Amino acid sequence: MTYRLAKLVFFSAAILFAAGFDVAAEVRESNLYWAPEAATVGAKKIDTLLNFIFYLTATVFVLTQSVYIYYLVKYRRRPGSKAYYSHGNNKLEIIWTAIPTAIFLGLVIYSNRLWAELHSPAPEDSVKVDVVSYQFGWDMRYAGADGRLGEVDVHSYSVDNKFGLVPDDAAGDDDFASTELVIPVNKPVHIYLHSRDVIHSFYVPQFRLYQAAVPGRTIAWVWFEPTRTGNFELACSQICGSGHYNMKAPIRVVSQEEFAKWQAGKIAAKAEEAKAAAAARALRTSTAASDPSGSAPRNKENKL
Amino acid sequence: MSTSATTFIPEPGHAAAEHGHHEHKQSFFSKYIWSLDHKMIGLQYLWTSFFFLLLGGLLAMGIRFQLAYPGMPVPLIGALLPSTIAIDGVILPGGYNMLFTMHATVMVFLVVMPLLIGGFGNYLIPLKIGAGDMAFPTLNAMSYWLYVLSGIVILASFFVDGGAAQSGWTAYAPLSSTPAYMNNTAMGQSLWCVGLFINGLSSIAGATNYITTITNMRAPGMTMFRLPLSVWALFLTAWLLILAVPVLSAAAAMLFADLNFGTTFFAAQGGQPLLWQHLFWFFGHPEVYIMILPAMGLVSEILPVFARKPIFGYKAMVWAMVAIGFLGFIVWGHHMFVSGMNLTLGAAFSVSTMIIAVPSAIKTFNWMGTVWRGSIEFTTPMLFALAFVSMFVIGGLSGIFMASTPVDLFVHNSYFIVAHIHYVLFGGSLFGAFAAIYFWYPKMFGRMMNETWGKIHFFATFIFFNLTFFPMHNLGLGGMMRRIADPTVYEHLRALQPINVFVSWAAFGMGLATFIFLWNFIWSMRHGKVAGKNPWNATTLEWTVPSPPGHGNFEKTPTVYNGPYEYSVPGMEKDFLPQDEKAPEGARLEVH
Repeated sequence: MTYRLAKLVFFSAAILFAAGFDVAAEVRESNLYWAPEAATVGAKKIDTLLNFIFYLTATVFVLTQSVYIYYLVKYRRRPGSKAYYSHGNNKLEIIWTAIPTAIFLGLVIYSNRLWAELHSPAPEDSVKVDVVSYQFGWDMRYAGADGRLGEVDVHSYSVDNKFGLVPDDAAGDDDFASTELVIPVNKPVHIYLHSRDVIHSFYVPQFRLYQAAVPGRTIAWVWFEPTRTGNFELACSQICGSGHYNMKAPIRVVSQEEFAKWQAGKIAAKAEEAKAAAAARALRTSTAASDPSGSAPRNKENKL
Repeated sequence: MSTSATTFIPEPGHAAAEHGHHEHKQSFFSKYIWSLDHKMIGLQYLWTSFFFLLLGGLLAMGIRFQLAYPGMPVPLIGALLPSTIAIDGVILPGGYNMLFTMHATVMVFLVVMPLLIGGFGNYLIPLKIGAGDMAFPTLNAMSYWLYVLSGIVILASFFVDGGAAQSGWTAYAPLSSTPAYMNNTAMGQSLWCVGLFINGLSSIAGATNYITTITNMRAPGMTMFRLPLSVWALFLTAWLLILAVPVLSAAAAMLFADLNFGTTFFAAQGGQPLLWQHLFWFFGHPEVYIMILPAMGLVSEILPVFARKPIFGYKAMVWAMVAIGFLGFIVWGHHMFVSGMNLTLGAAFSVSTMIIAVPSAIKTFNWMGTVWRGSIEFTTPMLFALAFVSMFVIGGLSGIFMASTPVDLFVHNSYFIVAHIHYVLFGGSLFGAFAAIYFWYPKMFGRMMNETWGKIHFFATFIFFNLTFFPMHNLGLGGMMRRIADPTVYEHLRALQPINVFVSWAAFGMGLATFIFLWNFIWSMRHGKVAGKNPWNATTLEWTVPSPPGHGNFEKTPTVYNGPYEYSVPGMEKDFLPQDEKAPEGARLEVH
């Protein structure tokens, strides 16, 4: 009897406990278990798969647990009840080995097809952005007027060369930098992911996208196509040090016209900047003869 | 292996064989501290892991407080926290990183492994196979003391300059391998490496002992397929330990060298950051099964006793565990789908990961088959064992989401995975451990634990556990990253903050419930009902000897005639047939 009572007390306590919190207050305009609304073509496909797995696992869960609880209630010990002596059943073993195997193999085929599709080569006309992560922030680099991103040497990041540009590649001269990721809607965006120090990750829940940025490497297979305009946040989702929790950058998905305008403005500003820098450089070379700043030491203490 | 087992080998210099059952006079030191008796060593493991369970739990409370109330001073103990964790009671971002890093390190290496493998492995293996002790008692004691030493080193790291490690229990390089990147915690990180290395030695020593003991010291008649499933589970776990742990030890040594001797194994320049992840997860995934297999074994032992039925599909259970053990070594890449690892490799690991779910499913169905048409008694150990099955199902099913590579793109490193791991590790391993403690307590201390308090502990833990960890699935799908000190800095997470507060309060409730257990554990040692030899009417050999068993365990080496789960055999008067009793006339045993 004490046991029944204890059960009652605890279940009511649990309900009261739960009622004390305002969980439902912020009802999110969401489609899927409070997940933020998907914002790219790929994200929607992932949601479809996620939904499929959800319904699959939910069905399995409900079926197995109902049977289980039914057994627990039905076969609870009662006076005179006797257990049935059985060591098992080989036919059943085969059935419940074969069925899950078939389901899992089907699922893995579905999954890996989508995986391959999401990682197919980025379309030629993609907007290309070099995204460089560091403790604790993000730098974005876009191609300048020539439409080409300058080549990167992943081992030559330095204070003066925060994108690790190869000096010989003229395509990099007019590239412009940004601290926010501005991208056009309905157009593929191809991300070149870099890190200057430790492993970070490019995570945008609305894009259903996580990809680690590994120092010393270029991750060049990430691309996506935003389907709606809006403001999002780029988050680092790989523990990267004490400032990790706040390592974020704004993402603005804008109309294609607005993007073109923003891009043109940035290119013009970069040209101005280059002109001023050239003047300053001319001044410097006339005063200081041997400045080694161009060849930064490559040791790992050379933190940016 | 299928032929009859080898006989009991007396250990030279060990009193068991000659002295038989007599308690010889031992000093306090040789009885409780430098004990060579497997039972005492098992209890030492148990007590030490309780201590670390409290520490790890306390760290978790700190994590939950920070997530619910970021920027607010921790009440009560805030002022006591070292300045590397909190200033004026307010948890620092780096201090928060330290909390979750050490919470996981403590729980994995100093609680779950020693509790399940060290504690129950040591206590139960010789008793269950009919041996007087472990094959190597001195190595056994050494294994325990190495564990204590590793605990001391890891504890000490809190108090060194900069505090303990802050790079997560997975310690991804180059954050963990480069002093310049890690907020002055190079010393703490180095001690983390040393602690894990020593802990690894302890595991390897223990595993060697288990394998030798189970292979060589089974009582006559105790064939491999008459072994209780817990012994099978521990046997396979020992193999996993011996194959996986050295990899971690090597990786920890390399990390230590990177930190202190200027090597660049894991540096971007001259090394490869992903190498660490491959080494870590080559250990880390078998580790998951190292922590769940013993719990599966212990639960498989408890369900038949309280359902009064043989375990359903004994051989299927054994082969499922063998399959898990084998497949466990070829699935590590599923932690690395989105790490920058080759994409095709990710697809391959996805296949092996889906396949490893099959033996887990088989086990679940067999557990359900065991309670089917049973005569189920809901004692506290049974409640924990039954809950284990359900929680394991949830943890297993949520794993399917991550095994699917595209879904992993979304949920990787989110709270979804935090929910998943806790369903497997807490709802699985720890529930299994609780079941085992309530079940074998009478054998260990000669008295029963209090049932009423046991049930209160069960229901409180079960409810608060689910209230704590289930909403984390939603947090993860809502886009909450794991390991962030303050979710409210993100716009999309501010709306989810009430759930974080809710989860934290549930976690505090769960933390408090643990004290009910500890109180019951200590109180029952003096005041519990006297248990006698076999309070649960169970069949395996440990229930044929007094509670607690004397030094040397058995008066004379038992002979085994039956499998471990002969309950409710038709044609018998009593409803169980101990392994060392010949079946009486008329008993209709099923030949299988």
